[in-house]
Amino acid sequence: MTAITADGVSKRYGTVTALDHVSLSVEEGEIFGFLGPNGAGKSTFINVLLDFARPTDGSAELFGHDCQTEGVAARERVGVLPDGYSVFDRLTGRQHLEYAVRSKAADDDPAEILDRVGISEAADRPASDYSKGMKQRLILGMSLVGDPDLLLLDEPTTGLDPNGAAEIRSILREERDRGAAIFFSSHILEQVEAICDRVGILQNGELVAVDTIDGLRQSIGGGTKLLIDVDELDDATTEAVRSVDGVETATASDGTTLEVTCTNDAKMDVVVELQRRGADVMNFRTEEASLEEMFAAYTRGGRA
Amino acid sequence: MNWRVIARTDAALASAPRSTRLVLGLPAVTILVAAYLYPVFGSEPITTARFAGFVDGWLATVVPLTGVLLGHDAVVSERESGSLLLSLSLPHGRDDFVLGKVLSRVGLVSGVILAAMIVGAGLVVYPFGRLEAVRFCGFVATTVAFGAIWTNLGIAASLSTATKQRAFVVAFGLFFLLVLVWDGIADGLRYGLDRAGLVDGSLPDPVRFVVDLEPGAVFQRITAGFFDPSASVDGPWYLGEWVALAVFGLWLIGPIMVTYSRFAGSDLS
Repeated sequence: MTAITADGVSKRYGTVTALDHVSLSVEEGEIFGFLGPNGAGKSTFINVLLDFARPTDGSAELFGHDCQTEGVAARERVGVLPDGYSVFDRLTGRQHLEYAVRSKAADDDPAEILDRVGISEAADRPASDYSKGMKQRLILGMSLVGDPDLLLLDEPTTGLDPNGAAEIRSILREERDRGAAIFFSSHILEQVEAICDRVGILQNGELVAVDTIDGLRQSIGGGTKLLIDVDELDDATTEAVRSVDGVETATASDGTTLEVTCTNDAKMDVVVELQRRGADVMNFRTEEASLEEMFAAYTRGGRA
Repeated sequence: MNWRVIARTDAALASAPRSTRLVLGLPAVTILVAAYLYPVFGSEPITTARFAGFVDGWLATVVPLTGVLLGHDAVVSERESGSLLLSLSLPHGRDDFVLGKVLSRVGLVSGVILAAMIVGAGLVVYPFGRLEAVRFCGFVATTVAFGAIWTNLGIAASLSTATKQRAFVVAFGLFFLLVLVWDGIADGLRYGLDRAGLVDGSLPDPVRFVVDLEPGAVFQRITAGFFDPSASVDGPWYLGEWVALAVFGLWLIGPIMVTYSRFAGSDLS
């Protein structure tokens, strides 16, 4: 069954368009990453799904229930980590989970879930004293209550260190393997890349791409960027590098630095080519194409 | 039954702070002090029914204060902080949420009034007073409803504002206008009309009807008309106790329904 169906969802605040005819669907058992820079409309879209915001146009469904007219039924099988939440002031972590268990009429053991998200030692402390990362873990724990068929997570790894983010990802994989669909938003490409089956890219309220990560990378070019400092650089060398198989672009900057975007496999070929032409490599760095670059590349490519 | 989870959680959270207990203690202390003093200062015969007429004026001031203080942060504090989003991302509707909040807060006020009234009845009856159970129960029920009206007004303020501070201003403004200065405005009106030679000592009945729409006046008219045998209401039918009862009902559900429907249709974030 389709977990999320959005059909031409638009949201305008006065003259500002936060969402512009967004249509997408997410199937059960897939991890869908919702990418976009801050302010692109990711949270607005999730808020429409949760009925925190009413769409100006279009409609959205969770498991066939309209998010606005049948909100309670729509959220029945869904676990949520919303944007802009705060924990209850005077409830402990354990009490938060008990509240979720009662609300969903589930029979989960709060202690087990606290352990799973890694905050069992803080179970009986007021959640308002938790760090941002611990709060994220707690709310993720609440979203897991009742084995939901869909997890809706708005920037779930905010406030977590890389290890914490990795733990969260492994929990999400477990949930996916159980059969749940996962829809999460992020502005950090690496997080999405590490786990998602498909991604959607939102920009200025418009869904500019929906594809697998590989598909996206292919459509925007290699994605890996090499920065190579050489002792001497001339146009002929740059031209030679550009003709190496797998190289998308090669440009000289600052006189002695060569910027190359290429596929992963072509990295060594580039260095070999430089040495063959007698250029001394002084320094060598790689950079992941940042999200902004991906956007730039994508939208340029898309509109050209 | 989702409202039950909300009500239960809210009642546990709302009753914990000392400030809430102080606020809830106000009507309890008032009722107990009145019940203690009434056999001493009241006129014979001392009965729980006539006690209603003794205490209702005090309650008309104290219960509204408790109601708005307890009600005004019910929704808006969660809305302002963002924990409202946690509750509403669970399978709770906004209707469940507001109903649960109303039941929790009204329940707290009602419980305190009920308990104080039972003890108070004991103070009135022992050793020389007489229990008039039916009239007294009616009065207790009316007081509980009066508490619910003002708690709902507080919650209505909570539903119609986006910050705790504004909710407090609106709720306390209602209390200030309807409880503290209303009578003064009415007196001023009467004095002015009297001086202008338009009326003869008292306000014309239709104007009195408007002035007495204030919940406290309605509460006291119901008490006088139905429960206190030493008092009665006079004037045309629309100043009678049955019309007062209908107005009472409107106060109970009107403000909360209007503000809820606006809340239900609004964007929360």
